[in-house]
Amino acid sequence: MRVYVYVWLGMLAIVAIEAVLVYAHVSSGMLLASLLVLAFLEAAVALRYFMHLKYEVPLLFWTLIPGLLLAFAMMNQFWADAARLNTLRFPIP
Amino acid sequence: MSDSAMTAEHVHGAAMEPSPFLITSKKLTVWLFIVADAATFGAILFGYGYLRFGSPNWTRPFTFVPNIVNGLLMTVVLLTSSLTMLGGVAAAREGRSGAAMKWLGATVLLGVAFAVLHLREWSGMIHEGWSLSKNPMGGSVQVGALFFSITGLHLLHVISGVIAIIVIAIGFRMRKLTAGHVETAGLYWHFVDLVWMFVFPLLYLLNVR
Repeated sequence: MRVYVYVWLGMLAIVAIEAVLVYAHVSSGMLLASLLVLAFLEAAVALRYFMHLKYEVPLLFWTLIPGLLLAFAMMNQFWADAARLNTLRFPIP
Repeated sequence: MSDSAMTAEHVHGAAMEPSPFLITSKKLTVWLFIVADAATFGAILFGYGYLRFGSPNWTRPFTFVPNIVNGLLMTVVLLTSSLTMLGGVAAAREGRSGAAMKWLGATVLLGVAFAVLHLREWSGMIHEGWSLSKNPMGGSVQVGALFFSITGLHLLHVISGVIAIIVIAIGFRMRKLTAGHVETAGLYWHFVDLVWMFVFPLLYLLNVR
C-alpha cells in the first residue's frame, strides 16, 4: 500500500504542475504539448500501478495498448480538415 | 468444482486451455471494455480539438476561482478515490471483509462527492447562461456544447461506477461475489480516474481566461 501512496502523491504533484503551467505565461502550443505529456505520464503510471498492468503478463499489454495508440494516431490525421473549417465557414456577421 | 466438471476433467483432461493472459475471463472482458471506452473518449477529445481549432470565436470561460479551484478539488477527490479503491481490493484479496467494506464505502463517498462538486459547477454555469446551445460570452456555442457533453459523459461513468461498486460491495459482503469481482470493479474505477486526467487539462486548464 505504501507504493500506491507514493504513486498517489506523485500524481497529485503532476496535477499541481499542470495548474502552475497554465499561469506561467507559456505559449499556447507549448502549454498544450506540456499538458498532454503530463497527462500521458499520469495515464502510464495509473495503468502500471493502479490498474496493475505491471504485474500482468506482458502479452496483455502488447495485445491492448499498441492497438489503442494506433487508433489515436489515426485520429490525429484530421487536423488539416479542422483548419479547413475556418476557410469553409461563412463570415461571422 | 461441480461433480460434472470434475468428471469431465478426470476423464477428458482440462475442459479448456488456460487463458494466455493468465487472468480470469471477467477481468479480460473489463480490459476489452476499457480499451473500447478509451477509444471512444479519445475520439470525442480529438473531436473537441478539431472543433476548437476550427472555431475563430472560441471563448475561454473559466477563472481560477471558482472553476479551476473546483476542478482541482474534483481531481484530488477522484485520485484519492482510486487510492481507497486499491485499499478495498487489497483487503478483499486478503479476505478482510470488514476492511474491504470500509475502503469501498470511502470510495463510494468520494465518487458521490465528485458528482456533487461537478453538478454544483454545472449549476453555476447554467445560472450564468451556459447551455448546450448558448454562450453568454457571445462566442462559439460549441464551448458549452462540448463542455457539457464531454464532462457529462465522464460524469455518467462516475455515477455508473458508484452504482457498480455499491452492488459489488453488497455481493461481496453477502459472500455471493469474490475478491475477483472487487478487482474488476476497481479496474473500471481507475479507468474513470484515468480519463479525468485528460478531461481536466484539456477542458478546464486550456480554457482559462
